Amino acid sequence: MGNKKQKSKANTNGSRSRNGSHARVGAGALARPVERTSKEIHSTTSGVRTYSIPDYRLEHPDFTVRQRVEKDKQGTEHVRYEVEGDLDAPVPPIRDSKYLDKKQCIEIYRWMLLNRKMEVALENLYKQGKVVGGVYFGLGQEACSCASAYALDKDDWFAPMIRNQGSLLVRGFRASDTMMQYMAKADSPTKGRDGTSHFGDIEKRNMVSPISMLGDLIPVLSGVALGARLQGRNLAVMTYIGDGGQSTGVTYEGINFAAVQNLGLVLFVESNLWAYSTPSEMQYRCKDLAERAIGYGIPGVIVDGTDACQVYDAARDAVERAHRGEGPTMIEAKMMRMKGHAIHDAASYVPKPMFDFWKKRDPIARFENYLVKEKKWLTPKENEELIKEVEEIIEAEREIAVNSPMPTPESAEGGVYCEDGCHEIKPKYGMPKVKKGTGGYKETEAAVHLK
Amino acid sequence: MQLTYLEAIRQGIWEEMDRDPSVFCLGEDIGIYGGAFKVTDGFIDRFGPERVIDTPIAESAIVGAAFGASLTGMRPVAEFQFMDFIGCAFNQISNMVAKTHYLWGAPAPLVLRGPSGGYVHGGPFHSQNPEMWFVHNPGVKVICPATPYDAKGLIKSAIRDNNPCIFFEHKYLYRRIKGEVPAEDYVVPIGKANLAREGRDLSIVTYAAMVHTALEAADILSKEGIDLEILDLRTVSPLDREAITQTVKKTNKVIILHEHSRTGGLAGEIAAIINEEAFDDLDGPIVRIAGLDSAIPFSPPQEHHYLPKTEDVVREARRLRAY
Repeated sequence: MGNKKQKSKANTNGSRSRNGSHARVGAGALARPVERTSKEIHSTTSGVRTYSIPDYRLEHPDFTVRQRVEKDKQGTEHVRYEVEGDLDAPVPPIRDSKYLDKKQCIEIYRWMLLNRKMEVALENLYKQGKVVGGVYFGLGQEACSCASAYALDKDDWFAPMIRNQGSLLVRGFRASDTMMQYMAKADSPTKGRDGTSHFGDIEKRNMVSPISMLGDLIPVLSGVALGARLQGRNLAVMTYIGDGGQSTGVTYEGINFAAVQNLGLVLFVESNLWAYSTPSEMQYRCKDLAERAIGYGIPGVIVDGTDACQVYDAARDAVERAHRGEGPTMIEAKMMRMKGHAIHDAASYVPKPMFDFWKKRDPIARFENYLVKEKKWLTPKENEELIKEVEEIIEAEREIAVNSPMPTPESAEGGVYCEDGCHEIKPKYGMPKVKKGTGGYKETEAAVHLK
Repeated sequence: MQLTYLEAIRQGIWEEMDRDPSVFCLGEDIGIYGGAFKVTDGFIDRFGPERVIDTPIAESAIVGAAFGASLTGMRPVAEFQFMDFIGCAFNQISNMVAKTHYLWGAPAPLVLRGPSGGYVHGGPFHSQNPEMWFVHNPGVKVICPATPYDAKGLIKSAIRDNNPCIFFEHKYLYRRIKGEVPAEDYVVPIGKANLAREGRDLSIVTYAAMVHTALEAADILSKEGIDLEILDLRTVSPLDREAITQTVKKTNKVIILHEHSRTGGLAGEIAAIINEEAFDDLDGPIVRIAGLDSAIPFSPPQEHHYLPKTEDVVREARRLRAY
């Protein structure tokens, strides 16, 4: 059967996808199987189906990266990446948010500043030899990390990936937590046992610790939503995957599980163009990863990942869908990773014009311009004071982190199992209210398989 | 009451779901169909589709979702249709679930269960004993019961445990053995071995279906005046070091018997424990009886050749006795 997507580039009015699933959810409601019909699918008389992927961007960068053989001065051949496309396009404006007011915009801007300045501090700590291992950066992705996490309610859950260190700040972790992780300190959230953003908190901040393997958080967050739903709560569960990570099989399994179970997964696909050194052209064939949502039967939208307002609006719509029990949403955020994979990687494989193009779309510079010059919600003086305040916070956090001792060698031991009453386990949102069928226990008949 | 091994497991999960609303089941075909071996037969009618969830064929998603739900304080029981398929979820178990408590202090009270083992001509993808993949993963507990009593008591312990437990049900035993199971609630502690037969001449350290193979061998050998002691480990991670040491100190001779391949198998680990704890007590070499170092073949004569048999135990016991 043929099908055809219709990606409406002209769709800038913010009209949103409304998936047609009307499953009743919450404790006791029979939510499976989810209805397959969708108002989004239109059949024409010719029998061709069309689907829509709302695209909220105010520009549509269209580049192609390919491998090319170059000769150096000695005539030796080298394979290099080159980029083709309109790299001189003007920078688009920030799209006004449907939801955010002045105060909220300034708060998000402040988180983005904290995000960036924390990473600058981490880079300096690395250069001073204080970091164990490498440092990962979210440069150019701060709007995506911070505005997405800002859209969650307090009881919602999330799990960051390595470039979402800003999300951690928004959700209530301190910069010193991440800094101590990088320095493998005794007071780090994992007490030295893991680094980077690999930590979590199931008590207060509702964060699942990431692992290095990509995609595995997606079914886990779906399971969090399942657990909460059994306890009578429709929660939003947000996590992230890159254009590289989405190639993994568990990504498919996790999204599909959330889709058939109608769980409140809010999946940000961070299309940052480079997976370590591999361009997105070598990860997937479709035009935009949001199109994959069609295959899962869930809404998919595209936003400019460098525009905090677009990121927030899409995230908030998805979070509210989750709270209403309407199931998962995939949000593709387009942007670029503005450093190498980690601090050791100079990203010399990236064609320079790509850096130049996206540097002009720096999420913080654009948002600053929007708040100070366009909206005049911040005076230049207030902005300076805000930046100064953030820098002071980061300096104080840096001091705390640096002064934490290293863990003792013996602290490597213990804690493998939960034992001796170290945790009391009970349903976080209350014991599920269960009803029982009339069927009593009966011995089962003989099995049919492999006797 | 007399119950089959399968019925004992089924009753154990049923009673835990009845007792504790935070327990729920998920897996492939476990709902209306009742599971490939009918372990969850009738559960969906009693506990509802919210708590008896048919999933897509996606083992990483099943384990991931069970783990996520456990983080909210639920106690999921996830079924693998065959334990051979646990390999599909290996990363989720090894890198996510097993490391969680050690790394960031989150308990994960979930159970992964399903049928394993040979002797039913299931072929290379429906007969495996993949427990060693997880014995080498600190952070998960690995349970392999041999009797209906232990199966019920241990599945209850696993569901109530605050750690991830992998519960290997031996499919050869499912409906072949019956045993006395008390009507009242009871549990069998995880990590404690059981002396399945007391004896004085030599010890067989084993678990799961091989306990019955060892018991058969003991009957044959008793007629020759050889008195076997049989230690049923019940849990293979954590191992009951004390019970292993005690039986070796008592009989001074030991055979370790398991179904899975010899190289890198559990016998090597147990031999090392004996070496550390009871070296001076040994009066003969530590003997291993195990599956061949190959995949487990399909055709009955080949499978028979691959797997340990009663006659192997009898032969090795006679040889070791002579030391």
